[in-house]
Amino acid sequence: MMDTAQQRLQEADGLAAVLDAAYAAFEGMLSVIYPVQDPASGLFAAFVMAAASAADGRNALALAPSLPGHPLLAVPAEQKPWSGEPPERVAEEVAGLSHLMAERLTRTAASAPDTGDRAACRHAAQSARDICGMLSTGA
Amino acid sequence: MTTRPAFGDFLTAARRHVSAAVAGHQADRSGEHAQEVADSLLHVITVMSRYLQDIAPTPGSMPSRASPPLTAWGQARLTARDALTHAARHLRQHTWVTRAPGVAARSELARQLDATAVALTTGRDLLHTHLARDLHGARQFRSEWGLVVCSPPTEQALLAELAWLAHQIAPACLDVARSASSLDTAAAQRGLRAACGWLQALNGSVQAAHRADPVSVTDRDLLLAIPLNVPLPRPVLDGGEPVASLYDAVITSAERARHAAWVMGAQPAWSPHLTADSLRHVAATSTVTSHHCEILLRSLAARTTGSETATVRASLLRAADAAGRARDGWLHLARALNQVDTDTMRHLAPTAGEAGDLALCTGRLAYADAAWTLSSGPGHQPRPPQDLAPHPADVPQALAAAHHACDAMISQAYAQRERIRTAASADRLLVPTRSLPDSMDIPRPFAPALPDHAHALLSLSQDTAEAAAEASAQAGEAAAAIRAPSRHLTAARVAARVGRDASTSPQRPAASPGPDVTGHPREDPGAVQAALHRLGVNSPDLLQRAADIDRAGAHLILEATGREHQHEPPEAEP
Repeated sequence: MMDTAQQRLQEADGLAAVLDAAYAAFEGMLSVIYPVQDPASGLFAAFVMAAASAADGRNALALAPSLPGHPLLAVPAEQKPWSGEPPERVAEEVAGLSHLMAERLTRTAASAPDTGDRAACRHAAQSARDICGMLSTGA
Repeated sequence: MTTRPAFGDFLTAARRHVSAAVAGHQADRSGEHAQEVADSLLHVITVMSRYLQDIAPTPGSMPSRASPPLTAWGQARLTARDALTHAARHLRQHTWVTRAPGVAARSELARQLDATAVALTTGRDLLHTHLARDLHGARQFRSEWGLVVCSPPTEQALLAELAWLAHQIAPACLDVARSASSLDTAAAQRGLRAACGWLQALNGSVQAAHRADPVSVTDRDLLLAIPLNVPLPRPVLDGGEPVASLYDAVITSAERARHAAWVMGAQPAWSPHLTADSLRHVAATSTVTSHHCEILLRSLAARTTGSETATVRASLLRAADAAGRARDGWLHLARALNQVDTDTMRHLAPTAGEAGDLALCTGRLAYADAAWTLSSGPGHQPRPPQDLAPHPADVPQALAAAHHACDAMISQAYAQRERIRTAASADRLLVPTRSLPDSMDIPRPFAPALPDHAHALLSLSQDTAEAAAEASAQAGEAAAAIRAPSRHLTAARVAARVGRDASTSPQRPAASPGPDVTGHPREDPGAVQAALHRLGVNSPDLLQRAADIDRAGAHLILEATGREHQHEPPEAEP
């Protein structure tokens, strides 16, 4: 799922597409983070805080005037939200995706003509950076 | 430790001054002058009267034929208030020379009485930092300790302390009243004699109540532990602190979080602090804090080895299990809150910051990494039990830190529930429309949350609060067993609950000790009945007659003390 989200974000063309892909990526993060929020894992605290930041980022994007009212790309029915990967691997993937999102949203914020879009992108980019910081092993 | 002054500091000072007054009187009586001692005693009685005004029922709520009988403590409150009123009246009637402010008394007895009055006044000021009055004179609470200050257990402990002081002071002052008199001291000595009689009456009524319904050591400890209501400084950690400093940091941040939760729980619906971002942040950080509590409690259980601590260890493990359930509750609540928003966004309330600080401080204590933060990333090992409490004497302090954190989680969960309820009632809970089915074509980014959303959130908050309460109660049992400094937290929760019940009861004066299973006020043996017990008498008939005599005696004393301006006060025992 993270690969798909990453690809969509890389290929997104135009403000609406970037916002839509980033929104879906935050949603996707939540669905992969929840199953690995295991108290027995050393990543528990990081995943809990990362989920809150993902929700913050998603809700910030929901306020962007240019976000399409409905998802541009429906999630394929056969796609499984959780592939049973170990928490460390999920952390790595989510951290990578959030790093990409932070970059893409920061660039979008700089070029968006609408103030509301710029504010939403900046806020969501900050959430993505927070997630990256929480889940990066090298932090 | 947290350096907030507590009521116990001033009560202990008052006790010390009273003891010094008695010792000074016994050592040297040459400089004692009835006029001066009467003046100083009046200072003490005046401040005692103010305490009684704070806790005694008002004349309008005095018992009538239609109202249920007062309990022993209800009667003691009324008797004590009347006794102090009479004592002050006698002293004022017969004392016309008062020292100017700032002029020290000549005798040790008078000086120490003055110091007692100052200590008691300061203590009362401390209690009043938790209370206020609204425009209509109704009592308001300014902190989470307000309910404790006004609770029956605390008031009874306070009354018992005042009675102890009165009992200590009276004999020494009576000596002065009975010393050789002259024309200029005779009136003051009369006033002193009468006042001391009333002080003994006060003590007698409180002792009777104490025999009927004893003040527990726990209640007294709670009274002494009531802190000054001032903001505590935010703990700032640099990573180089010894573990003892981390205990203090956890306790301080828990107290700050508890106070912030209390303040925020009563926020109005329009408050800009009422945001989903804050709710989410509190839920996420409290999940982490509860997780840390579980780690700390398990680690402490591992640290307490040996057969003599088996009970403590069992309590700690039960507390750890409950903290784990609280963590799971917080986690589910956090996930549910991730699905909602509010009409005000991107604003964090102070309580969110305090909850984050508590997660940070408990994390620094729970993990071996001295630089751990909420954004440190993965891969942190728990602190080994030997490092958590390097010496056996550190275990109570470490447990106090974990207990405070668990207790703060209760406040946070209930405050969270109230904030969710407030937001839902004002239609401020929203959901992103993109999360709704396509059939719901809403041309706005957010739509009002459905009632099911709010109900689910409220239910999760309630479950989490109950699990947190269980964790705190179990930690409290362990704290009581090893006399950890946090042991008063359990009593404070109970007192606040009793205080809340009493303040909502129409029969507040009678509400304190509570009826027994038969519906009658609890009664313990009086003096005559106790004497028969000591003689080994088991006859129900004789014991019943003894109880009747005790009851009649108590009624006679009450009736006598209640007849204002009709009788001279009872003469005190020398």
